[in-house]
Amino acid sequence: MRLLRRLISGVAALVHRRRVEQELNEELRAYLDEAVERKVETGLPREAALRAARVEMGSLEAVKDHTRDVGWESRIESLGQDARYACRGLRRSPGFTAVAVLTLALGIGANTAIFSVVNGLLLRALPVAAPEQLVVLSTRSSIEQGFPAGWTYPMWDEIRTRTNAFDGAVAWSVFPERFDLAQGGESQPADGLFVSGNFFEELGVRSLIGRTFTANEDGLGSPRSRVAVISYGFWQRHFGGAPDVVGRTLPVNRVPVAIVGVTPPEFLGPEVGRAFEIAPPIGSAPVVLSDNRWGQPEGFSYLAVMLRLKPGQSIESATGLLRGMHRQIIEASMGPRELWGPHQDVWLKDPFVLAPAATGTSELRRQYSQSIVTVLTIAALVLFIACANIANLLQARATTRQREISTRLAVGAPRWRIVQQVLVESLVLSVIGAAVGLLLAVWGSRALVAQLSTWFDRVVLDVSLDWRVMAYTSTAAVVTAVVFGTATAVRSSRIAPGAAAQGGAVGQGFAGTGGVHVRGTLVAAQVALSLVLLVAAGLFIRTFERLAAVPLGFDSDRILVVRMNASRAVIASGNRPDSYQRLADAVAAMPGVTHAAASLNTPVNRGVTMVADFSVPGGPAVSPRDQRVIVQYVTPSWFETYGVAVREGRVINGGDTGRTTPVVVANEAFVRRFFPGGRAVGSFVTDALAIPDQKDMPKTVIGVVGDAVDQSLRAEPFPALYLPLAQLMQHPAAGAGFMSVPEVSLSVRAATGSPAQLARSVAATLTSFDRNLTFSFQSLAEQVDAARHQERLVAWLSGFFGALALLMAAIGLYGVTSYAVAHRRTEIGIRIALGAQRRDVIGLALRHTILMTAAGVVVGLAIAAAVTRYMEAMLFGITALDPVTFIAAPALLTLVAGVAALVPARRAAAVDPMIALRSD
Amino acid sequence: MGTSDKQSSLVQGTLDMLILRTLALEPMHGYGIGMRLEQISKGVFQVNAGSLFPAFRRLERDGLVKAEWRATENNRRAKYYALTAQGRAKLARATRDWEAQTAAIARIMRASLGEV
Repeated sequence: MRLLRRLISGVAALVHRRRVEQELNEELRAYLDEAVERKVETGLPREAALRAARVEMGSLEAVKDHTRDVGWESRIESLGQDARYACRGLRRSPGFTAVAVLTLALGIGANTAIFSVVNGLLLRALPVAAPEQLVVLSTRSSIEQGFPAGWTYPMWDEIRTRTNAFDGAVAWSVFPERFDLAQGGESQPADGLFVSGNFFEELGVRSLIGRTFTANEDGLGSPRSRVAVISYGFWQRHFGGAPDVVGRTLPVNRVPVAIVGVTPPEFLGPEVGRAFEIAPPIGSAPVVLSDNRWGQPEGFSYLAVMLRLKPGQSIESATGLLRGMHRQIIEASMGPRELWGPHQDVWLKDPFVLAPAATGTSELRRQYSQSIVTVLTIAALVLFIACANIANLLQARATTRQREISTRLAVGAPRWRIVQQVLVESLVLSVIGAAVGLLLAVWGSRALVAQLSTWFDRVVLDVSLDWRVMAYTSTAAVVTAVVFGTATAVRSSRIAPGAAAQGGAVGQGFAGTGGVHVRGTLVAAQVALSLVLLVAAGLFIRTFERLAAVPLGFDSDRILVVRMNASRAVIASGNRPDSYQRLADAVAAMPGVTHAAASLNTPVNRGVTMVADFSVPGGPAVSPRDQRVIVQYVTPSWFETYGVAVREGRVINGGDTGRTTPVVVANEAFVRRFFPGGRAVGSFVTDALAIPDQKDMPKTVIGVVGDAVDQSLRAEPFPALYLPLAQLMQHPAAGAGFMSVPEVSLSVRAATGSPAQLARSVAATLTSFDRNLTFSFQSLAEQVDAARHQERLVAWLSGFFGALALLMAAIGLYGVTSYAVAHRRTEIGIRIALGAQRRDVIGLALRHTILMTAAGVVVGLAIAAAVTRYMEAMLFGITALDPVTFIAAPALLTLVAGVAALVPARRAAAVDPMIALRSD
Repeated sequence: MGTSDKQSSLVQGTLDMLILRTLALEPMHGYGIGMRLEQISKGVFQVNAGSLFPAFRRLERDGLVKAEWRATENNRRAKYYALTAQGRAKLARATRDWEAQTAAIARIMRASLGEV
């Protein structure tokens, strides 16, 4: 109660400040008058009475001060005074203010920018209703391997009926990620995903205009399912925000689809980092993708499923309920056991796992989370280094205010007031720096997100400022103010009152040896931290360089990749490989093209890699896991197109057709694993996949080629077999679904120049071959670059921050050396007058700096050696203690430090002794 | 009583109690309170403005006294303080505590000559 009363009267006093002050003045005057009157009554003359009364009362101002201090509001007022004073002081020294604010703006801005990305990628919840109730349905193997779990349509159908375990369920397609809006010819891609009929409703996403799906629009294959909801972004970009967009039709993979609604701008989809443009219901998948497999048990497991828990239900209880139904769900969705035996077993052995999904699911997150947090740590360290610089600046500035401070102390200011004033000044500086930094961060975070996108992967991330980012920035501002202001504040409070009035001794306090020690430690710490950052940058740069030097095993610069879809083309199913061969020949015959070949997949395209299990009959035993090899179906000129080296035997040629002996070409990795020390060419290999009722078909190895990169640049070369596309029809599963080859890649090698130039003419050739072919162009060089994209980005960012850290450390060293030299000018002047050489003087001036730098380097190396082992997962081709980096970084730092310190040192040696002696 | 910071907490409490006691008799203005304290203590306590005014503000803040502007005997305007009900209660409590304390101290002082 008393507290509340004090609070209220304090606020009242603040608000009515003037009146309160007036009242106090009046009361004091009345007091004085009364005292004078009483004294006059006792017979004192008025003059004497007045004087006596005044003496009795003491200093009027002191009384007022003590009275004012009774309430807490005087503290607040003093803060306000200090803030105003600080602003005036900062305005009077524009140079200092500019440097400090700029440094802080860069440091805090960079941190905020990166934190915005961290926020958008890792922390922000989906803009849906009650995101904390959402969980994603996964399997144990998916979680362990870090891949998103996918379910087939029948599985989704089964799962969603089990409503006793959860409150609601939604599903969406993880792939394909893109639809084609063109009517033929070169494709016009749009990002999209299939969603379940209740997707928007269950998540509480209301349509901006139009509506979302109704219950009967999600029937599998139903004509009512040819509808779609589009995103706000797509509505603006593609339709210019036209108000009549609802009801218009859009050709999605050449299937006309009616638009029923538009989602609000903040909803980007369930996957963070991926934004959708068009969302048709899952029921339309078989039609849009012109393949019934998308709805059938033997089709792809392409659906992600998210469940909404019942209010109050725990993840464990929901998991328990679902696992109880696991067997039923799998058996019901996969059909008769005789057909799917081994495959069913794989599913049955992999239990359900529910993972919290308030922040959605995200491939981008999985890929980038470690890197971005590392970069954030680096940025925070750079900010610390910047703070050290500002602390030094502040100290230097405080030196000039010693007189003022000691005078204030002498007339009775309490020490905490001085400390408060310095801290408030630091805070004002921080706040201004943070405000400017925030502006920089808004721009910076968008630029960073743009950098995350590659040619095929449009990254969309919401990096707008929310409370978390603001909290982060405010905390950074306060912490930096405390960090760089405390040292100065504490030292200021130690000044002896009145010392300045004596003159001459102003040299103590800041400028004394104590001051130099503090500075020296700060700079040594800066050097150490900068070295750690340089080492980190060096490791990342070397990683990127090592990655770029990985031999691809093929020529990436000349190749244009064309991804073709022949599902609506006239080419008959059974003849597809032959037609593709003719197509490849036609393209190869074009001017400017040396070779062309068709294949199911291309390297480094982030696509699906075909794998199969192979064994060598009569060969050494290979464990089942090692039987897995990559399988590539290619036309004969594939090897010349890609420039793959032939080591033994021959490669596939026109003579290997569907009617001749099945053949394969192995790569060196395959030979190493399956034919160690033996001869591969001429031996047989068999497909180990035992599909019931199918005979194993042994294939002859006709040649061995060099290893080539498949998808990952980091992985060791994987055993691979190349089979003729013409012999694809011999595969037991041929003719079924995706093995009927509706999609194929054409790789075109350019004779000279950039392969992109061939795009137009290749497009013309393909269109003239068959008008209903659709295709899109991809440059292999860009694909390879994209495979290194993340490492390049991290190398660039860490290099940028490392350079920034180095610059700040250099500035710090320069400042300290300058200061030390100025401080010892008299001494230097005397030495020179007594005959010291320039060299000796420079050495003298540098000695302290060299000591600090050496200390910093040693400490920095020790810290770096201890810390880099946590980065090991991100490195490639080098160890965490890479000697090249650990030697080059300190060398660079020492060089820069030497230059930074040399400049003021040389100036010291040029001092005219007479001037130095007289200036004291 | 001086204005030294270090002694303030003990001195503050006692001064507040003394002021409340003075006001228990009749409402008074600031100078009057100081005079009365000096008179009754026969000159032992000479409280000056530097201690009185902060005390007045404290007491007013805590709701133990209320103030109003009135005319003095000399027809000047002065701020008169009067006890509130809460102030009376506080005074009663403080008086009891003080008496208990002084009795205890007196007992110890007497006892130390023979019984300790």
